[in-house]
Amino acid sequence: MEDNKNLKFQISNLRLLRVWLKMSSMAAQSQLLTNWAGVMFLVGKVVRFLMFFLFLFIVVGAVGSLVGYNRQQVILFFLIFNLIDITTQFLFRGVYQFRQSVVSGNYDIYLVRPLPSFLVPVFGFMDIQDFITLLPLAFYLGWYLNSGSVTITTINFLVFLLLFANSLVLAFAFHLFVCSICILTTQIDPLVWIYRDLTNMARFPTDIYQKGIQLVLTFTIPVIILITVPAKALLGLLSWQMIVFAFLISGIFLFGSLKFWQYALKRYSSASS
Amino acid sequence: MRKYWQIVKITFEEYFEYRLNFLLWRFRNFVSFLTLFFFWLAIFGSRGELLNYQKSQLLTYVVGVAFLRSIVLASRSVDLSGQIRSGELTKLIMWPLGMLQYWFSRDLTDKVLNIFFTIFEIGLILAIFKFPLYFPKNQVTYFWFLLFVIFGVFLYFFISFTIAVVTFWVDEIWATRWLFGIIFLEFFAGAFFPIDILPNWLTKIIYLTPFPYLVFSPLKIWLEQLSGFMITKAFLVCLAWLVFFWRLSLSLWERGAKNYGAYGG
Repeated sequence: MEDNKNLKFQISNLRLLRVWLKMSSMAAQSQLLTNWAGVMFLVGKVVRFLMFFLFLFIVVGAVGSLVGYNRQQVILFFLIFNLIDITTQFLFRGVYQFRQSVVSGNYDIYLVRPLPSFLVPVFGFMDIQDFITLLPLAFYLGWYLNSGSVTITTINFLVFLLLFANSLVLAFAFHLFVCSICILTTQIDPLVWIYRDLTNMARFPTDIYQKGIQLVLTFTIPVIILITVPAKALLGLLSWQMIVFAFLISGIFLFGSLKFWQYALKRYSSASS
Repeated sequence: MRKYWQIVKITFEEYFEYRLNFLLWRFRNFVSFLTLFFFWLAIFGSRGELLNYQKSQLLTYVVGVAFLRSIVLASRSVDLSGQIRSGELTKLIMWPLGMLQYWFSRDLTDKVLNIFFTIFEIGLILAIFKFPLYFPKNQVTYFWFLLFVIFGVFLYFFISFTIAVVTFWVDEIWATRWLFGIIFLEFFAGAFFPIDILPNWLTKIIYLTPFPYLVFSPLKIWLEQLSGFMITKAFLVCLAWLVFFWRLSLSLWERGAKNYGAYGG
């Protein structure tokens, strides 16, 4: 009986993965249609990365350290920020298009499908450009960790992987929350952009901010759990209490977000349809 | 002139109609300022000087960037792209208005509102942290600074208008604006950090673009780090770019308006 349940769960997950891959393939095709725009976005992302990298390299190199972190560690924070930021953009870009579905009433079409109601709003539009930038970044990060620039132990790396997955769960919870707000208010862009701006604050180690700001970045939009905590875990600078706390915060956010989604869904008025 | 004054008033009222959007926009600017401010505070620590900047000069630079973002880089002419694509422009071109004057009037309103909020936000931070700002010692510096800011306002307006007008020919304008109007502009204008901390060869290339004359040059003048010869040189390059983008925006507008198909209108 238990085996049967497990098998059903696995088949169901496989089906969702196939649906996601199909949606992603369609999204990639539509993005690749506008070649010129895609090239400009890619150039912009690369320029932004290189300029910030160069900036940190020069400035932190000139002073030797930033709030106790040496240049190699500060660059690692920056790389982890990019890894998590780009991965969340790659996975959750659908959120940016959800408003149009709600306003037009097209979301009805997705609701009648035998799929989780949040699948299309959150995962419905994979960003191929982010995926293209993610590959060299992941490759460079792997090389950076292997080069001995920073000392990484196996256990720290494993904890990092767990916290990286935890960050994706947290990012999912936030994006789902934003979709719920969109159903209730038909507004989405301001919240998403505030999220982006606050996560940008973690481009540098968040220890540079005052304690009050750090509290805001832990408990409102938990940027510190999202980006700083995995980076610190990789460097072996995290206590086990903080690791547990990070999982706890993500769990609370996920639970709250799913509940709020259910609440918002009941109030979906299917406008314009 | 009176009709453009009316445009200013109408734009002002529009902002009060969509108050939340504007407040959230200000919040985003404030977050961006805080990030840079705390980064530089942490970098300087107890140091007095770094990368040819005294602490007061660099913190003044960060505050200056916040102000020049409001004065120079605040703009509504970006909306022109949407109007071309949606066909709403049809209504506008039937009105007895000059397009450049119309959009510049809207830009002015945006700038005034942004300056007001910036003074309040930055004032709050300055009151809390009480760090010394750098003020020019030479009176003539104020004149050059003001002149460069005015040139910067017009230069940015014509750059922004030029990018918007490209929508007559290109459907996917957001990518163009993102690359040239945000990424290149913000980095090369010095809106994140002073560009002269970059390698010399890269700084020289950036000086050839129109962007440093929007934020970086006025602030270098304020910090009195440019010689008379360098100011004159920067002024001439800025003037050349200003004339270039003025002519380019006008020419593109005239050609685009002739081919305008009023899609969706």
